[in-house]
Amino acid sequence: MDALIVSLQNSSTTVQALAVTAGGLIGVFATLFMFWFLIFLSERFGKKG
Amino acid sequence: MQAVFIGFTSITWQMLIMYLVGIALIWLAISKEYEPMLLLPIGFGAILVNMPLSIAGIPTVPGYETGFLSILYTMGIKTELFPLLIFVAVGAMIDFGPLFKNPLMIFYGAAAQFGIFATMVVATLLGFSLKEAASIGIIGAADGPTSIFVANIFAPHYLAAISVAAYSYMSMVPMIQPPVIKLLTTRKERMIHVTYHESNVPRWLKVAFPIIVTMVSGFVAPISVPLIGSLMFGNLIRESGVLERLSQAAQNELANLVTLLLGLTIGSSMVATNFLDWKTLMILGMGLVAFVFDTAGGVLFAKLVNLFLPKSKRINPMIGACGISAFPMSARVIQKLANEEERGNIILMHAIGSNVSGQLGSIVAGGMVLALVPLFVL
Repeated sequence: MDALIVSLQNSSTTVQALAVTAGGLIGVFATLFMFWFLIFLSERFGKKG
Repeated sequence: MQAVFIGFTSITWQMLIMYLVGIALIWLAISKEYEPMLLLPIGFGAILVNMPLSIAGIPTVPGYETGFLSILYTMGIKTELFPLLIFVAVGAMIDFGPLFKNPLMIFYGAAAQFGIFATMVVATLLGFSLKEAASIGIIGAADGPTSIFVANIFAPHYLAAISVAAYSYMSMVPMIQPPVIKLLTTRKERMIHVTYHESNVPRWLKVAFPIIVTMVSGFVAPISVPLIGSLMFGNLIRESGVLERLSQAAQNELANLVTLLLGLTIGSSMVATNFLDWKTLMILGMGLVAFVFDTAGGVLFAKLVNLFLPKSKRINPMIGACGISAFPMSARVIQKLANEEERGNIILMHAIGSNVSGQLGSIVAGGMVLALVPLFVL
């Protein structure tokens, strides 16, 4: 991971922006997936309760 | 004698242009009702700060060390206090109920953040640095406080242009989104019906949600904690059920007072020598690009999801476009479009669920940008 970051630090600005895009979109989807999972679990618990 | 007329003799052509810009913003606020609560104070702030020898901004008159606009800017924007207080107010206004009833809508709120990142890439191609490009891209969050927060950290010299673009385009969502949606969808797709299931959301979930969201976001991107924490604190006040007075105060007094000061302070950053630059025009142009990409990202994601859903469970792809943070304007626009295509087609609750998700998504995206960009900038 560190090697990748060092490599990107030496890349062009556009390549860095593409890396932020990939990481950012994955991060947004992953974080919101966790929120979805929380709601999903609450529905499950709610139905069992 | 010259000293008597120093106010007149100090006027420059750049100042005159800024007065026109200020008057144009005030006109948009009053005549067109485009985000009047912000554009009017921004417009007046732009006039104030560009008065000759401005005592309001950074004074050049001996005896006046700091103008009141400079004090507001230092206290409210440089410290990031104003956008965060706005988030407390916004959090107190948000009802996540429609999202809890349609939890899958949360992913539309993620997809519609595409515009932030796509615009950032475009901005780097136009010669902006990564930090500047990230600040420009965040206009696509369709969320004024997030734009101000990120721009203040990464590109304070473009704060005025970015803020004006963010608030202007947010108010123009009814003009920006429909043509993009119509371009990317067929009439048949726009006529898809969605079924809304009424269900009771347990109170503990409404209370636990802001706490858990804050913690998860803090673990994923610690730098986003001020943003998400302020929003969720406001929401917790609302949902706790025992702080009605505080909730009302956050939604009304706090929101009104901070909005007033925020607008005036943003306007005060529109000093002619900084603002009148061809890059300001580029930023305004890219703000529009960001909103178009956001809308396209949401619609295309919804269409992609539909490929994997049985015909009876397909979602109207217009709902994907509501995944931006402009709440509740985007949801209303999409409901209006659905009604135009087929009278009586109600998709509002799904649209609101998607729209609320966009508020979460935009802040998380802002946090991601804040966390990732410094990794690559030496």
